[in-house]
Amino acid sequence: MSRESRRREDESYREWTGGYRPYDILREATIALGVVLALAVVLTILFSSPDDPPSTIKQWSRTDPVDFVTTATTELDGSSTTGSYGPPYNHNSDGQHIAFIHLAKWLGVSHPINTAQDFVLAPLRSLTSQPALQTAISTYQAAPAKTQAGWTTAYETALAKASATPSGSLSVRPGSYGPVPTMMGSLLTFAQSGGLDGALLTSKQFYQTDYTKPLLFMADGGVLTNRATADHLLGEQWGMMNETGSFPGQVWLWLYTFWYQIKPFSTSANADILVMAVMGVLSLAFILIPFLPGVRDLPRRIPIYKLIWREHYRSAPGTDGL
Amino acid sequence: MSSTAKRSWTAAARERAVGALPPDKLLPDSQPAYMASWIYIFGVLSLVSLVVIIASGSILSLKGPGWWHFTGIGHFFNSIHMWSVELFFFFMVIHLWGKYWMAAWRGGRGRVWMTGAVAFVIAVPCALTGYVSQQNFDSQWISTQAKDAMNAAGIGSFFNLTNFGQMYSYHVFLLPLAVVAIAAAHILLVRKHGIVPPFRLADRTGAPGSHAEAPSSGVPGERSPAREPKPDLDPSDHAS
Amino acid sequence: MIAAVFNLNHPANTVHWHFFVMSVSNVIVIVIMLIVFVLAILVPFPGHGRRERAK
Repeated sequence: MSRESRRREDESYREWTGGYRPYDILREATIALGVVLALAVVLTILFSSPDDPPSTIKQWSRTDPVDFVTTATTELDGSSTTGSYGPPYNHNSDGQHIAFIHLAKWLGVSHPINTAQDFVLAPLRSLTSQPALQTAISTYQAAPAKTQAGWTTAYETALAKASATPSGSLSVRPGSYGPVPTMMGSLLTFAQSGGLDGALLTSKQFYQTDYTKPLLFMADGGVLTNRATADHLLGEQWGMMNETGSFPGQVWLWLYTFWYQIKPFSTSANADILVMAVMGVLSLAFILIPFLPGVRDLPRRIPIYKLIWREHYRSAPGTDGL
Repeated sequence: MSSTAKRSWTAAARERAVGALPPDKLLPDSQPAYMASWIYIFGVLSLVSLVVIIASGSILSLKGPGWWHFTGIGHFFNSIHMWSVELFFFFMVIHLWGKYWMAAWRGGRGRVWMTGAVAFVIAVPCALTGYVSQQNFDSQWISTQAKDAMNAAGIGSFFNLTNFGQMYSYHVFLLPLAVVAIAAAHILLVRKHGIVPPFRLADRTGAPGSHAEAPSSGVPGERSPAREPKPDLDPSDHAS
Repeated sequence: MIAAVFNLNHPANTVHWHFFVMSVSNVIVIVIMLIVFVLAILVPFPGHGRRERAK
């Protein structure tokens, strides 16, 4: 079809000069409002809504002290997920990229987090009434980087076989860990008392609404992941669409989560930026459907419209009012 | 009174608005006779779902973000808010399916489609900011997971899902404002352009240059005497 | 707290089909959407029957 004839055809659909019938738009909207309100109330009475309580560092350190201390040690030596994340938290990696496009790196470190300092050393330094602890911290900070790494690596290896005692402390086999066990013992006690939740939140000013630090700390460990696995919220469980419990979730995210299930996205270190790029292109295409050849012609070729307008075609044959 | 004197902005704006949307177009009391399908109710159902979302959300914001965790009435309104969001997306998607199969962008209605699509695209992050504002485990999980997608795209440098204060501001004010503004533009454009007429059955065969093969002159817009539209008005017929 | 009629606060049952893994509640929502869409197109709209009989 030539562009000119397509344009003329499109113009011919601009105005309807055929028949009209009476219609009360405000009454329809009011009835619709009543229907939707009733539906929402009925669904609320039948099912309510989910509200699984949040995890806290206090709970985490009490129920799984081995995982807590292991995570804290990786924060101390920077090998944790956050520690090695890169932008926007630190420069310890370049972040994800597509070919030469490094959006995360270009936008830079806007929310600086030094995991050793922010998650371990600063909270421990606030416990000024423990002189043995303060000495241990000073010993750690004064040691060369290679020595520090030797201590933390050895401790992490031992933690893999450690267990929790009934009192909530750790039983780790003896080894050459330097001051690290003293530091981690105090951090564990501090966390189990509830102090670390608050210390991570109010580090910059009195009023706080930014939960980035405590959330990243917990996400680096297993506490959130273990709950999520039970609720089918993991990425590979199509988790983006799901909700806690048996409630319907964000069903409209089906295409976002779909890409993560298939190659190359499922095995790529740059999966997130790849999926965001694909969805960006598809969202733009969705908005621009009227201008996309083929896609805009499908409704004509697959005539569902004949069902929608069957009364019109039947009642006024040969008349188009156009 | 502006013919030779400097043109008044106010008069120009008023004339333009009234020209595009005269009162009987803005609030019509009739509709084209071809609108005889239940598929046509899903636009208004989406709109009123948005109204219920905003109303229930307003009640939640009256008492602050922590209220609904500790009282039955607070949890009730949270549930209304959650289910009206599910209904909003439910009706909106069925509305867009219907509009796609009707090719509702025809006849200069491209902007109607585009504003509708943008409304959907903006509603998705609006919902996301709501999910991360719940202050429960769901928020913890969604924020720590979805932050990776934001960070990878560079958006995370100024849109921090784990910053509750920022996310709450976006959710309660900025993004609903955007959704409402786009939805209003969409609805005004629908009123301006009217509902898209049906496809002509006797139309182009797809052959180059062929167009409007109906037994008439074939020129768009021109009606031959044999094809005068029959009046389709029946005063006793009320749709609602 | 007022309890709901049906308590959905337990881990979801899931539907596994090839590599699709979806919670039952999400599957129900999608199926209902498809059914409602088909019904919206097929179910006769009131008014035309009367008009036809009146002619």
